[in-house]
Amino acid sequence: MTTFDYHEPATVAEALKLVKQYGDDAHLIAGGTNLVIMMRQGLVQPKHVIGMRKLRELRGIAPTAQGGIEIGALTTHREVERSAMVARFFPALCETFGHIATVRIRNQATIGGNVVHADPAQDPPPMLLALNAEIVIGSDGKTRTIPATEFFRDFFEVALEPGEMVTAIRIPPQPSGVKGTYVKFLPQSKDDYATVSVAAVLKLGKDGTCEDVRIGLGALGATPLRAPKTEAALKGKKLTDKVVADAAALVRDEVDPLDDIRGSAKYKREMARVWTERAIKSLLK
Amino acid sequence: MKFEHTIEMPAARDRVWSFVMDVPSVAKCVPGLEGLEDLGGDKYRATMKVRVGPIALSLGSDLSIVEKDQAAGRAVLAVDASDKRIGGAVKAQMTMQIAEKTPSTTQLTIVTDAQVLGRIGDFGQPIIRKKADQTVTEIAENMKKALTATSAT
Repeated sequence: MTTFDYHEPATVAEALKLVKQYGDDAHLIAGGTNLVIMMRQGLVQPKHVIGMRKLRELRGIAPTAQGGIEIGALTTHREVERSAMVARFFPALCETFGHIATVRIRNQATIGGNVVHADPAQDPPPMLLALNAEIVIGSDGKTRTIPATEFFRDFFEVALEPGEMVTAIRIPPQPSGVKGTYVKFLPQSKDDYATVSVAAVLKLGKDGTCEDVRIGLGALGATPLRAPKTEAALKGKKLTDKVVADAAALVRDEVDPLDDIRGSAKYKREMARVWTERAIKSLLK
Repeated sequence: MKFEHTIEMPAARDRVWSFVMDVPSVAKCVPGLEGLEDLGGDKYRATMKVRVGPIALSLGSDLSIVEKDQAAGRAVLAVDASDKRIGGAVKAQMTMQIAEKTPSTTQLTIVTDAQVLGRIGDFGQPIIRKKADQTVTEIAENMKKALTATSAT
């Protein structure tokens, strides 16, 4: 690892000042589970590392005035997994965070670091997309919010401008009676990256028709994805086995996976269909 | 890794040939390519800046036209690039083939055969393949635009 200057600001304002001052030469570090590996590999060689551990204002989960929740960027995966507030708000969100890697990683890695790293195979983003989450971004004296669907731009690339940092993830209120699940296909080991992963959020009407459905997909493209055509084929319909199977078949053309050690692109398209169908069906039980 | 791109250029065969043989014009179509130096004898040097998320590469690149046959419409460009700071290299051979489609349109086929070595390669060959494919697509599109712009004048 190359040498660098370490800064440890006490406030977000101070941190943002450093981010602005050092620009491309600086890297923020939260849990460090991704950055430290890349620094050890020599792939990332920042001259300045800005430690975030003193930024307590970015840690924790709070209800929003609208009835949703806001998760501070420095909240660890384990804290989201075990939060009673999150469990009341949307139990499948706790489950999703409980699926990440191992407990040691979950105790260290943060939600902000996760979304900024933008590896399309990570677990939280598909669920965040399915929940219509928004990313709260701070810069010197300003705050802006963008939908998670617009935040992820490409492999490991997000819509952060120079001088900005993610301060929180905001999840809007979900309609009553909505259910969700997150499933992933792990043919190798439980802590491996998924071959494909699917988050699904579903609301059925009183007559059993699909009132709303949102599907988030992981490891199936350059970014985590939504599946608008599949969702449209489910909305407003009684979800019979045939309707679900026909809709899930559409997902194959909504994804653009890579050929890699976890499978060929063709195989992953097929697995996307299989796991989307399973995810939706599991919500009908 | 190998990929092929075919693009229809809005110009006659001879114009497309002169364009692709004019390295400074083609260099303007390559995203992130800076400081092109003509070393003479169909050899050039430049720096190519590439970014994949947090990883920023500055590839010192030697480019040379190793084969050109105007009658056959075929040229081969060799690229030897390395980033000494991060420790990684890219070696690529780009074979360009042009063929007349109509008197005012020409088909350009670019076959790229690239090897990514060292730490850059460790990052993930599948992602690099996708990125390289996207970059060549962008170069081909920019070349098309550049030719369209010069046709208009």
